[in-house]
Amino acid sequence: MDLLELINFYLIPGIVLGSIYALGAVGITLIFAILRYAHLAHGDLATLGAFIALAVVTSLGISPLVALPFAIIATGAVAIGIDKVFYEHLRERPKIVTVMASLGIALMVRSVVQVVWGVDTQTYSRGIVRPEDYFGLRIRDREIYTVLAMVALVGVLQLFLTRSKWGKAMRAMSDNPNLALLSGIDNKKVVMLTWGIAGGLCAASGFFLGLNTELKSMMGWHMLLPMFAAAILGGVGRVEGAVLGGLIVGIAEEMSVLFIPSEYKAAMAFAILLFMLLVRPTGLLKGKVL
Amino acid sequence: MKTKLIALAAGLMTATALASVPAKADVKIGLIGGISGPIAAMAPAMVDAAQLAIQQVNEQGGIGDGEKLVGVVGDSACNPQNGTDAATKAVNIEGVAGIVGPHCSGAVLAAAGSVTIPASITLITPSGTSPEITSLEDKGTVFRTVPSDDYQGRALARTMKEQGYGKVAVAYLNNDYGTGLANAFKAEYVDELGGEITQFAAHEEGKASYRSNLAELVKGGADTLVIFDYGDGTGLTILRQALENGFFDKFVGGDGMKSDAIINELGAENLNAFVASSPVGEKSQSLDVFNEAFKAVGGDPDAIFVSTSYDATFLMALALEKAGGDKAGAAAAMVEVSNGEGEAILPGEWKKAKELIAAGTAIDYKGAAGDHNFDANGDVPGTYALWEVGSNGFEMLTEMQ
Amino acid sequence: MEILGLVNYALFMAIFIAIYALLALGLNIQWGFAGLFNAGIAGFFAVGAYTSAILSTAADDGRIGGFDLHFLLGWFGAMLAAGLIAWPIGKICLRFRSDYLAIATIGVAEIIRLVIKSEPVLTNGARGISGIPRPAGDIGYMESQIAYLAIVLAVLAAAYFLVERQFNAPWGRMMRAIRDNESAAKAMGKDVEFRRLEAFIFGAALMGLAGAMFAHFNRSITPEAIDPMVATFLVWIMLILGGSGNNRGAIVGAAVVWIIWSVSEIATDRLPHEYAVQAKYIRLFLIGLMLQLVLRFRPEGLLPEPLRGDRRTSQSGTEPH
Repeated sequence: MDLLELINFYLIPGIVLGSIYALGAVGITLIFAILRYAHLAHGDLATLGAFIALAVVTSLGISPLVALPFAIIATGAVAIGIDKVFYEHLRERPKIVTVMASLGIALMVRSVVQVVWGVDTQTYSRGIVRPEDYFGLRIRDREIYTVLAMVALVGVLQLFLTRSKWGKAMRAMSDNPNLALLSGIDNKKVVMLTWGIAGGLCAASGFFLGLNTELKSMMGWHMLLPMFAAAILGGVGRVEGAVLGGLIVGIAEEMSVLFIPSEYKAAMAFAILLFMLLVRPTGLLKGKVL
Repeated sequence: MKTKLIALAAGLMTATALASVPAKADVKIGLIGGISGPIAAMAPAMVDAAQLAIQQVNEQGGIGDGEKLVGVVGDSACNPQNGTDAATKAVNIEGVAGIVGPHCSGAVLAAAGSVTIPASITLITPSGTSPEITSLEDKGTVFRTVPSDDYQGRALARTMKEQGYGKVAVAYLNNDYGTGLANAFKAEYVDELGGEITQFAAHEEGKASYRSNLAELVKGGADTLVIFDYGDGTGLTILRQALENGFFDKFVGGDGMKSDAIINELGAENLNAFVASSPVGEKSQSLDVFNEAFKAVGGDPDAIFVSTSYDATFLMALALEKAGGDKAGAAAAMVEVSNGEGEAILPGEWKKAKELIAAGTAIDYKGAAGDHNFDANGDVPGTYALWEVGSNGFEMLTEMQ
Repeated sequence: MEILGLVNYALFMAIFIAIYALLALGLNIQWGFAGLFNAGIAGFFAVGAYTSAILSTAADDGRIGGFDLHFLLGWFGAMLAAGLIAWPIGKICLRFRSDYLAIATIGVAEIIRLVIKSEPVLTNGARGISGIPRPAGDIGYMESQIAYLAIVLAVLAAAYFLVERQFNAPWGRMMRAIRDNESAAKAMGKDVEFRRLEAFIFGAALMGLAGAMFAHFNRSITPEAIDPMVATFLVWIMLILGGSGNNRGAIVGAAVVWIIWSVSEIATDRLPHEYAVQAKYIRLFLIGLMLQLVLRFRPEGLLPEPLRGDRRTSQSGTEPH
C-alpha cells in the first residue's frame, strides 16, 4: 500500500472523525474538571445541536456553515437551562446522583428530537460531494471546515481560559474549588459559563458529524463512548488532552481495520484507553485524579 | 415519598386498567416494533403499513360481526428486555388476539419464548430474519412473512451471476440480518456458482466513518460492492462514502438497502450503478395494489419491510376471521388462509375474503411481499426481484430465481 | 380475564424486578459497599447468560456445546464464569480510581459484547442461542410464570440474606472503612487491593447469575440483550434511586424503576391513536422526567444507607481521594 492511499483513506478520515470526537471530548473534560462528574447526556445534546442547525438550514434556507453559530448558541442556552432546572439542586449531593440525572436528561433530549424532527435519516444538503484532489491528497471542503473549525474553537477556548478573567476563574475552580470560592469567584457564573461552552461545543460536534455523514436521532448516543474514551485518554480536565485524545481515538479507529477484523473497530478506542491507563493512569497529559 | 411513589404507580396502573377495558366489540392485535432503539428510523413506516391493513379491514366491514379491529402499538426497542415487556402487556393488559412483530429477531425469540408460546398467542413477525426462529419449538404459533435470510442471499447470488457480475466484495452489518444474508450469499456465490469474493467483512453500526473499511474492501480488485445493511442507517453512510471516494463501480444491496432514504439523500442521478433485491409477490400486481394503497395514505412503499408488515397484519386479520375470533385457533387458521389453495385474495380485498370465509370457501392470500405459503416451521419461501433506481424511484430490473 | 391478565402481567413484572434486583444487589456490593464505579454490568450479565446457555442447551454443531446439563449447573457455571472473568478485569482495572474505572469497565463490557457478536464458534454470533430450557416451563402460562417467580424469588432471598449477613459482619465494616477512608484502612493493616477485588468478583458473580436467569426465562439469549442502556445504566438508576449502600434499597429501587419503565408505556398509550408511535418517544421523556423528580425529592435514595455508627463523610467516588 502506498503512502498516499494510507493518508487518503485512513489518516484523513481518522483526523476528521477525531476532530468530531475532540469537540465533544473537550466539553466532557471541562465538565469533569469544574463540576466533577461524568455527563452522560453529552451525546444526545450533540444530536440536538445538529438538528437545531438543520432546522435553521431548512427554515432560513442558508448554508449549513452559517447555521452553525445559531446551533452553538441555542444548544449552549439549552445546556445552561438543563443545568438550572435539573442539575443545580443536586450540586451538594454525591456526584453519582447527578450522573444518573444526566442519564435521564439524555433520554429526555433524545425524545424531544424524535418528536420534533422525527426519526428519518436526514442530511443538510442532498447529493454527494466528490473530494478535490490536492497533489494526490483527496480532501473534501467540508473535511477542511471540520478540522479548521475544531482548531479554531479549541484555540479560542484556550485563549479564553488563559487570558480572560472568567477563563482564569474557570481554571481556578477546576484546580481548587475551595480556594477559588474563598478568593471570591462567583461559582454560579463559572458553572453557567462551563455549561454554555460545553453545550456549544456539543452542538459543533454533532453538526460536523451530521455534515460529514447523516443526521439520525441516535447519532449522538453512539458517539458518547468514544468521546468519553477520548476525554479520559487525554487526561481529565485537560482541554488540549481532550483534543489529542479525540484525534488518537479517531485515527486509531480508522487505522484499526488494517490490523484487526473490521467488526472490532468499535473496540479500538477502548483497547487504546485500557493500555494507556495501564501505562499512565492519569491519561496522556497527566489529568486530575478525581 | 415512598408511599407517594407507590400511590403514583398504583394510580397509573388503575387508570390503565380502567382505561383499557375495551369497548366490548373491539378485536385487538399487538403491533410490536423497535420504535426506539437501533432501528428507530425503520419502525414508524412498518407500523404505518400495519395500520393500513387494519384500516382496510375496518372500512370493509370489520372483523367477525362487524367488530372493529384495533392495532395496539408496543415498543420492543429492538432488545429482548423491552420486547418481552411489550408482548406481556399486549397479551395480558390489552388482551390482544395475536401479535404482529416484534421487529428484531432477538426480541422475537424472547417474546415468543417467554410470552406468546406459553400463552398460545399467534405471533407473526414481518422482519425477524434469524434462522433461530425456524427452529423454535413453537407449537405452530410463530410465523413470519419475511423469508429466512438464507433464501434471499442465495437468490441474489444466482441473479448476480446471471447478470454477469464478476469479482465482488461483501460488507455486512454485524447483526443477525447482515450476517445471515452475507453467509448465505457467500455459500451460494462461491461454493455453488464458483464466483469470487475478494473481501468479506462485517462492520458495527453507528460509526461516523467507514472509509478505511472501504479501502480494505477494495483490495483484491473487485469492482462490485455487495452491501447487506439498512439503507436508512449505516448502509447509507457506506454507500455514500463509497460513491464519494470512487471506491467501487457497481453496488448491490439486499432488501434492507431498497430504501427511499438512499434516493432522497444521495440523489437518483448518482445511483445508476446501484441495484437492490426486495421481496415481491408472485402475482406481482399484489405489490402494485399495495403500493397504490400505501401511497394513498401518505406512506412510502419503498421503505424497508413495509410490504411484509402489511402482509403480516392482513394475514393476522384473515386468520382471526377464519378462526371466528378464537385466539387459540388463529395459528391453524393462519396456515389455512395462505396455503396456495383456494380463491386468490389480493392486498386490500378484505370484503371479498370475508364473504368467502363466511361461505366456507377456501382462500389463499397473495401478499405484496410474496405468496406466503407457510411451511411446517411457519416460514415462507420468498419471491424476489432485483430493482434499479430510475427517475421515479425504484424500478424492477428482473425477477430473481 | 381482565383480572387474570393483570395477574399475569404482575407476575411477569415481579420476575423481571427480581432479576434486576439481583443485578442491583451485585452492584451494591461493588459500589454501595466497596465504592467501585463499575459501569460494565452488561458484560458480566452477558457472560453469565451465555455461559448458562452453553451449558444447558442441547448440542449444536455450529458452536461449542451445548452440554445439555441441568439448569442449576448452568446457573452455577454462570456465577463461576462471571466471577472468573471479573478476576483479571479487576486485577487490571481496580487500580484506576472512580471515573477512570467507570470508563475502563464500560470498555471491557463493549469488548465482551463485540466478541459475543462476532465469534459464532463461541456464542453462535449475532444469531444468539435459543432453545434454552426454562425450569417448570412446560406447564400452563400462568403456572409456569408462578413457578419461575418462586425460583427467582428463592434465589433473590438467598442472595439478599447472604449479602446482608456479610455486610453486618466484620467484613462489611471493613469494606465500608476501605470505601470511606482508604489510607486509614490500610494503616490498620487491611489488604485494600485484595478486598476490593473480592467485592468486585462477588458482585460480578451475582450479575452473571442474573444474566443466566434472564436467559432461561426468555429461553433465548441474543447480543441485543447486552444493550448498555437496559443492562448497565438502568441498573445504576435502580441502585442510586433505591439507595446505594442499602440492600433493601437496591431491591426497592429495582421495583420502582422497572414499574416506571414498564407502566409508562401503558400510560402513554392513552394518547390518541394517531400518535401511537410518538407516544413511545414521549414515554422515554416521561421516564427521564420521573427519574429527575425522584432524584429531586429523594436524592439520597428511597431507602438510604442505614447509619451504623460509622457515618461516612462522602458517598461518592468522584470526590477527591
